[in-house]
Amino acid sequence: MTELLVRNACVIDPIRGINGEIMDIAIRDGRIVESVSDRAEMIDARRCLTLPGGIDSHTHVCGTKVNFGRYMSPEDMRAGRTRRRGRMHVTSGYYVPTTFGNSYRYSAMGYTTLLEGAMAPLEARHTHEEFTATPHQDMLANTLFDGNWAVMDAVREKNIQKTAAIVGWTLNAVKGYAIKLTNPGGTEAWGWGEDLTSIHEPVRHFEVTPAEIISTMIRANELLRLPHSVHLHCNNLGKPGNYQTTLATFDLVPDLNPDRQTLYATHVQFHAYGGGTWRNICSKAEEITRSINNKPQIVMDMGQIMFCRTMTMTADGPMEFNLHCLHHNKWSNHDVELETGSGIIPVTYSKKSAVNCIMWAIGLELALLTKSPWQCLLETDNPNGAPFVKYPEVIGLLMSKRYRDEECATLHADTEKRTSLHALEREMDWFDIAVMTRAGQAKALGIINQGKGHLGIGAEADIAIYPIRTDSLDPAREYRKVVEGFQKTRYTIKRGRVVSRDGEIIVDGANATFWTNARIPEDLRVDNDPEFIRRFQEFYTVRMSNYPVQEVYLPRGRCVETESFT
Amino acid sequence: MKVILESKVRKKPTIPIEAEAIIPRNFLKGTDLVVYEGNKERTLSELFWIFVEGTAVSPENIEVVLKGDTSRIKRVGEYMDTGSILISGDIGMHCGNFMSGGTIEILGNADAWLGREMRGGTILCRGNAGHYCATGYRGEKKGMLGGKVEVFGNTGDFCAEYLAGGEVHVHGSTGDFPGIEMRGGQLTIEGDATRPCANMKGGTCVILGKVHEMLPTFERIDRIVLPETKITADVYKGDVANRGKGSLMVKCPGPA
Ligand SMILES: [Zn+2]
Repeated sequence: MTELLVRNACVIDPIRGINGEIMDIAIRDGRIVESVSDRAEMIDARRCLTLPGGIDSHTHVCGTKVNFGRYMSPEDMRAGRTRRRGRMHVTSGYYVPTTFGNSYRYSAMGYTTLLEGAMAPLEARHTHEEFTATPHQDMLANTLFDGNWAVMDAVREKNIQKTAAIVGWTLNAVKGYAIKLTNPGGTEAWGWGEDLTSIHEPVRHFEVTPAEIISTMIRANELLRLPHSVHLHCNNLGKPGNYQTTLATFDLVPDLNPDRQTLYATHVQFHAYGGGTWRNICSKAEEITRSINNKPQIVMDMGQIMFCRTMTMTADGPMEFNLHCLHHNKWSNHDVELETGSGIIPVTYSKKSAVNCIMWAIGLELALLTKSPWQCLLETDNPNGAPFVKYPEVIGLLMSKRYRDEECATLHADTEKRTSLHALEREMDWFDIAVMTRAGQAKALGIINQGKGHLGIGAEADIAIYPIRTDSLDPAREYRKVVEGFQKTRYTIKRGRVVSRDGEIIVDGANATFWTNARIPEDLRVDNDPEFIRRFQEFYTVRMSNYPVQEVYLPRGRCVETESFT
Repeated sequence: MKVILESKVRKKPTIPIEAEAIIPRNFLKGTDLVVYEGNKERTLSELFWIFVEGTAVSPENIEVVLKGDTSRIKRVGEYMDTGSILISGDIGMHCGNFMSGGTIEILGNADAWLGREMRGGTILCRGNAGHYCATGYRGEKKGMLGGKVEVFGNTGDFCAEYLAGGEVHVHGSTGDFPGIEMRGGQLTIEGDATRPCANMKGGTCVILGKVHEMLPTFERIDRIVLPETKITADVYKGDVANRGKGSLMVKCPGPA
């Protein structure tokens, strides 16, 4: 039995409605309990800001695509090098660091749970291996279904049950957590060198449209009673004028779940552009947030960009090709048979570029114009918009109008004309930030019941204690201190153990991987369906029996069972 | 001031020594420097006999002389900005990395990555240089930015890859792909070269020997007499495959 007592913590715990109360937190064997014995180890939080462990609900840190980003950028491996030290492995890389680099830096920032934004089912093994090597965060995998042949066939047949059965079987097979759709239909079209330009344009050979894929998958997701909703990267990412696609997509979404959203729209900044060319691109954040503010069934995340050099990586192959044509830099493109694709290119976001400045402003506008912080979560689509180590700066910008104004003064002159950021007075408070960086994520991902995102009795003791005194620090004026404070926790506690102290990792991690297992009625199971099996054997280059990821790849797997089809 | 470093006989002479500390400026405060032999930290005096002649008040008057077996010593002259280094034998990899000033002279051969990402100063190599002479390191889009590298012998493959500024002069021949991805600067090869200047974007390359496997993506635009050597050369523009605007001059075949 191990016990720990955190004393004098200034707790903000939005899920329980606690806002800045000074309290003690008792921990026994990794969970939060009512009280502990006097033999418990003690930490004095000294009235510092104490939050549930940070949760990133959309990041790219593991898997083949991320790893290819590493292959492609040996120059990045010269950045961010740290030596082996105590318990810490050697690390390198800045925008695509080694797995340990990711894990340590997230931990230093108080993050204890990460959702990998896009795992190709066929490449799941590698993703799980890298999860194991990201030891200080619990991991969840969004599983790509955007160009899944079997799914598209079932969607064409308008068969929600069959769609659900395919998804359920696949998630179980690859130990995935949730459904991810990246440019639905578009990644299959890219297999033919094409893309889809509207959500009502059919995918060749399958004769289904993105709108049909999205609608059917949303219903299949609810039929499976998955903890998370469909996680969508909309069509037409990064194209001027794409906000109309985004709005049309949002209009497809019914409100089907009382506990959480029905659709999670990711990195919406990249989907909120007006205009028709790169010359007249402008912000449509107002239109997007007007829609979001009227649709409690949708949660989005920012997809904030920050000015730096980074790497874009997504399953959205055609989009990456377009970017490559703009930049003429190195480019990688992958096809994942029968499932999806991906593309990777390096980018540098520059203050000299009007387009980049507008993108930067749009991300902030989205967050500031969304009334409820539970509906717009903070992330950068790491590393697409910026490496996650930039989160503290994003927090600073959201909390301080002065910081935003000072930044805006250094930007391209067009920023003010084509966005309305300068007119937004809102300054987020500590509670808003706690929602946008952990509580909102826990709710959106459906992991509150797993003891994540809050500090109630029975919750997993994932806690971040920041060297921030909210009673004396004015974030609007002293935003630099806010940024600094969020860069390095005083303590990061993971399952009741202090893993990081003042940015230094002090123990070996032992993370868990959450995956979902939906119970599917015998008569609907695809592994009992001779037609599914026949097509699998015919089209895949792997046998169906070799496809599932063996348990050995998840040394600390945590299965979330769902009562589906009820 | 002259600092002479004569390498001691080592038990395992093949273990590389990482010696980025060996730059003239560092000897202003003494010879108490740290280098690595493999993964072991060593003081300079464990690996070298050190002789100091005279004194210096500023680093530009310091000359470092390396003697003995120096072929496994890496990163000599890294970030050097002034003074001079004379190497009487061969030198290991990455000599003159990021150098911005001063002079390095190598009387023997240099291993790979000589003068990589150099910004200024001069490197003279009397023997041959290895692969990736005067280039950028893996993934780096801008290689050498300034200064001069002169090799009196031959170089290996990928000489002056990503050259972006400064001057590279090879008196002998180069291997495969010299001047590949060149962005600027001047590359002169007096000997032969194979597949020069692939995907060149800018800069000038002159080849006075024979070109093997000339790439088809260079457009011949002129024939001129080179002012210094009075040699007649064909002038090509390229690499046109990616709209490059570099210029490649190749000595015309025929009687000399
Ligand atoms: Zn993403």
